[in-house]
Amino acid sequence: MRQAGTYSGILSGGISGRTGPHLLPLARIKKIMKKSGDDVKMISGEAPIVFSKACELFIEELTQRSWMVTMQGKRRTLNKEDVASAVAATDIFDFLLNLVSESDRSGVDATDHPLEMDALIRS
Amino acid sequence: MADAMGPGSPAGGSHESGGEQSSPHSNVREQDRYLPIANISRIMKKALPTNGKIAKDAKDTVQECVSEFISFITSEASDKCQKEKRKTINGDDLLWAMSTLGFEEYIEPLKIYLARYRELEGDTKGSARGGDGSLRRDAAGGVAAQNAQFAIQGSLNYISSQVILSLTILFHFIQEY
Repeated sequence: MRQAGTYSGILSGGISGRTGPHLLPLARIKKIMKKSGDDVKMISGEAPIVFSKACELFIEELTQRSWMVTMQGKRRTLNKEDVASAVAATDIFDFLLNLVSESDRSGVDATDHPLEMDALIRS
Repeated sequence: MADAMGPGSPAGGSHESGGEQSSPHSNVREQDRYLPIANISRIMKKALPTNGKIAKDAKDTVQECVSEFISFITSEASDKCQKEKRKTINGDDLLWAMSTLGFEEYIEPLKIYLARYRELEGDTKGSARGGDGSLRRDAAGGVAAQNAQFAIQGSLNYISSQVILSLTILFHFIQEY
């Protein structure tokens, strides 16, 4: 086992080792992929592996961009409003706009605000 | 876009209160729709300076965003497969979808990651599978570099370590599936 160091990046799983060599559980990724649409039926074995790394890169980028907002506010705790601001400020995260603005409203009224939502998307 | 809305949005608000509650019903749904919050949290912490803290609501939001990301990319890849009359979404389709949707910067690190994975997988299965053409060619470079490292350590050592590694990887995958 002393060779593990060579592969430490790919070998280090979760603390329990349950996630195997990847940081995120592949079976769960596959489930989420299948829920993406009725026409998603067959998924190659490699696809969840691509996602295990892609999601890691995505989480890192989203977190770093959110942290920049936290810092601008001279705070030390990253909160969900920082994530929402980072999403709004980043073009490639446009597909998350509905989701983060919905979260903003949770507890008040997270549903039908089509007009406001449109305005948010356009801005 | 409508397709991509799948897991995250319809119950985005209600999830907020479902986070760490032990209600069996909400747990089942959580497991279907999201990646584990502990894994998400670990990756987020890695991206912050050591003095940075993360509120629970931020973790929940990122957790929803990740599922949305998977659906967004998968839908685009799935459309491509349908147009090309193929039934199986493969790694190349996902990379294509990511570059189409603005995530070009992920492509190189993903190719390197896949190259390392394929090297290990090739060792356990004996031969490479077809189907992911261009990626596999790129993978060859990474494999060569890894092999060069091992050559220095002597071939006997190399062979025994590969066997152990292969078994370890295989074991992890069996657990996973």
